[in-house]
Amino acid sequence: MTLDIAIALLVAISCIYDQHFGQTTMNCAAYPHSINTGNSNSYNVTNIHNNITNVKKVIADENPEVMRWLSPLDPGRRHQDVRTDRLDGVGNWLLETNEFREWRSSEGGVDRAVLFCYGNPGVGKTFLR
Amino acid sequence: MIDSLCDESGEEGVAVAGFYCDFRDQQEQTTANIMGAILKQLVARGGVLGHVQTAFQKAKMELCGRGLRLPDTVQMLKRAVATLHQVFICIDALDECLPKHLLELLESLKEIVRESPRTRIFVTGRPHVEVEVIRYFATGVIVPISPSTHEIKRYLEKKLEMDTARDAMSDDLRADILRIIPERISEM
Repeated sequence: MTLDIAIALLVAISCIYDQHFGQTTMNCAAYPHSINTGNSNSYNVTNIHNNITNVKKVIADENPEVMRWLSPLDPGRRHQDVRTDRLDGVGNWLLETNEFREWRSSEGGVDRAVLFCYGNPGVGKTFLR
Repeated sequence: MIDSLCDESGEEGVAVAGFYCDFRDQQEQTTANIMGAILKQLVARGGVLGHVQTAFQKAKMELCGRGLRLPDTVQMLKRAVATLHQVFICIDALDECLPKHLLELLESLKEIVRESPRTRIFVTGRPHVEVEVIRYFATGVIVPISPSTHEIKRYLEKKLEMDTARDAMSDDLRADILRIIPERISEM
């Protein structure tokens, strides 16, 4: 791989990254320029490869951090417990009601956007399937 | 409900996100954290969205470890919902939220529906929260939940089958359980 191709590749990757993640990691226009004005001998393919790896690493490393920042709560675990305890078929009647179908079809638009199921403790609201 | 919707919604651009409110966790289950948990599920589905990533970077630079405020989270969630064809949001046990959080939660959901009218919200709760739900969604669909005697019996039979202390069980006790519990529940 020649240096030119490698630079083009790196810039393309960083631009794709920018489009996806809406932030500028490297200035797409300025990056090749900075290589040209600097000591070009120090920029070999390995450097560029490392840069690409770093960009990938930043994306991968930040996801859990972004997730924690969005919320410390993890509803997945509770959902798994509910799934385990649920008896198949219980609550299926709801799926057959006209109310559910109307809500699900979205025909009612904004006016029918909410489906509220109420009941006393223990009637099985959580376990509706 | 989350699983049923997931099973049915195989289409591209349809997402299902859910949350279970729990009175034991009331302090941490703020509206911002609940909305954040919903957003997390949409994000986990297709990778961190550009605007979320930008907001994260900005918050990180401004002040280390700064928590998100509700309007910021709702704004990000609204944008995430708008990128999808349809989003189903399921929230269980509204009555287990603190009253202050409940109102904020309903207000936030209303904002999302206003901007993305295809959004469907499924919520459950004890009868007394109906007043609050109607306050925000006057024309919402309301369904009372009461299990059929048949369902309760089936559930009890399953539980008795899994009983680990079988020595303590007799035919009479078993018959009483299967008779009395369904009766009591159907009176609820």
